[in-house]
Amino acid sequence: MRKILRVLPGFLIAVFLCVPAFAQSPNCIICHSSIKARIKDPKGIVVDIYIDADRFSKSVHGNLDCTTCHIRFSDNPHMQPNLPVNKEILTLASEVEPKAKIEPVALAACYQCHGQIYDALKDSIHGKNIFVQKQTDGPLCLDCHGSPHYIMPKEDRTSPVNHWNILNTCGKCHNREDISKKYGLSTEVIERYKESFHGKKYILGYSNAPICTDCHGAHDIKNWDDPDSPVSWGHRVATCGKCHKGANKKFVAAITHKPVGKDNPVAYYGEKLLILLLLSVFAFTIGHVILEAYSEIRDNIFRKGKEEHHEK
Amino acid sequence: MKNELPEEIERFNIVFRIQHIILFTTFLLLAFTGWALKYPEVQQSHWWIKIWGGPRTAGIIHRTAGITMLLDFTWHVLYLGYLLITKKMRLNAKTTIIPLPKDVKDVIHNMLYFIGIAKTKPKFGRFSYIQKFDYWAVFWGMGIIGLSGLALAFPTKTALVVPTWSLNWIWELIKIMHSDEALLAIVFILFWHFYNEHLKFGKFPMSMTWITGKLSIEDERHEHPLEFGLLFPEEKIEASQTQQKETQK
Repeated sequence: MRKILRVLPGFLIAVFLCVPAFAQSPNCIICHSSIKARIKDPKGIVVDIYIDADRFSKSVHGNLDCTTCHIRFSDNPHMQPNLPVNKEILTLASEVEPKAKIEPVALAACYQCHGQIYDALKDSIHGKNIFVQKQTDGPLCLDCHGSPHYIMPKEDRTSPVNHWNILNTCGKCHNREDISKKYGLSTEVIERYKESFHGKKYILGYSNAPICTDCHGAHDIKNWDDPDSPVSWGHRVATCGKCHKGANKKFVAAITHKPVGKDNPVAYYGEKLLILLLLSVFAFTIGHVILEAYSEIRDNIFRKGKEEHHEK
Repeated sequence: MKNELPEEIERFNIVFRIQHIILFTTFLLLAFTGWALKYPEVQQSHWWIKIWGGPRTAGIIHRTAGITMLLDFTWHVLYLGYLLITKKMRLNAKTTIIPLPKDVKDVIHNMLYFIGIAKTKPKFGRFSYIQKFDYWAVFWGMGIIGLSGLALAFPTKTALVVPTWSLNWIWELIKIMHSDEALLAIVFILFWHFYNEHLKFGKFPMSMTWITGKLSIEDERHEHPLEFGLLFPEEKIEASQTQQKETQK
C-alpha cells in the first residue's frame, strides 16, 4: 500500500502531463514513463521498463502506437495486447529469437514497415550470420540503430548511424578481438582506417571523407570478396569512382586496411629504414647543435679575449 | 684607397633571396596545414585545423603551397643551370655548395673543436658543411616529400604510372615517405636552421643576409675565410691593412 502511495503523486502528474501528448498510446506511457525501474523476468533477464516519454515523442517512431511493435507479450504481467500476429512476422520472430532479450515478435515487427531493408539485411553477411549461421553476434536493427524507442533520423548528431558516429558503431564489434578472431577478420581494420588519409580526414571533421558504410554499404553489406560487394574487385572502380574521378584498376588496389607486416617487405622495411634515417638525422642534428652551443658559450663568455682562435 | 676592403659583400643576389622567401613561406604553410593531418587523434589538432579554415581549406592551402614550392625549386635549379652555362658562376672547390671530402674532415675537425681537443676552428669556404647540409636537406625533401606529395594529390593519375608489381606496397611507402620525411624536415629546420641562422651568438634574432643579401666583411673573414681569401688575395689584404694602420697612426 505504501509503495502505491509513494508512486501515486508522480503517477498522477504523469497522467496529466502525458495524456495530451500521447493520445495514441497513453495507457502504456503513463506507467512506463513514471516508473524508473528494471525488472527481472522469470528467466533472470533484467529489462529496463522505463521509457523517456520526451525522447520517445521526438524520435522517428514517436507517433507510433506501442502495440505497433509490441504486438503481443509472451510471458509477463501484461496479458494485453494479444493481437493476432501476421504469419510472416511470426516466422521472422522465430528466426531472430536468439537476438531477442525477451520478446522476438517486437524485433521482427520492424519488418512491417521496413520490409525491403530487412530483406537486404537478411541477405547480407551480417544477416546471414544470424539467419543461416544462427549466431548471436551479427547485428540486427537495434545493434546499430540503438534503442527502438529513441531512434533519431541519421542526420541527427546523436544517432549511432550518423556519419560522425559510424566508426564507433561499427567499431563496437570490429574493434573487438574475440569477434574478429572468431570470424577470421583483421583486428586492425578500425586502426588502419584511422591511419589512412580517409580516416585522418574523417577524424578531423572533413565531411567528404568516406566512412565504413560509404564504401562497404550498410544493410546489404557483403564480404569484400563477394562479387556483389561494392568493394569487390568487380565493383571497386565504380565505388572509388564516386569520389575519385578517373579511378582505375591500379588505383583501387591502394586500399586494403591490411596491417603492414613482414609479408609486405618493401613497405615494412621501407618504413623502418625511413625511421632509422629520421632518428639518425635527429641525433646528429641535435647532438651537433648542443655541442656547438656549448663551445659558443665557452668561447664567448669564458674565453672572451681570444676572438681570433681560428686565424691560427 | 682603391685597394681598401668593402664594408660588406653581396652574398646572395635578388633572385636567390626571392627564391628563399618563397621557399620558407611555402614551407611554413605546408608544415602548419599538414601538421593536424599527421596527428588527427590529438585533441589540439581540431582547433589547429580550424585556424587554417578547416580540413577542406587547409587541404587546398597545402596543395597550393606544395605546388608553389616545387615551382620555386624548379626555378632555382633552372637558374643555377643558366648561371653555369653563361659562366656567371664557376665551379670552385672554395665556393661550391657541392659536398666534398673536405666537408667530412671539417665535421670531425669542428666536433673536436667543440669538445676542446682541436685548438682551431676549421676554415670554411663560401658554404660551410653546416650550410651545405641545410641546402641539400631541402633537395632531399623536394625529392621525397615533393614527389610523394604529388602522388598523393593526384592519386588516380599516379596509379597509371606506377608499375603493377609495386601495388602491394607503393601506397604505404608513399604515405610514410610524405609523413615521416615531413616530420624530419620540420625538426631539422627547427634545430639546424634556426640554431645556425637565428640563435647563434652574433646572429640573434637572425642574420639579415636573407633580406639584404649582404654579409659584413668581418663576418665573411671569420665565417668563410677560404672564400675571403679568394675574393681578396693576400697582397690586397696586406696592402689594405698597412693602409689602415697608417691612417690610424
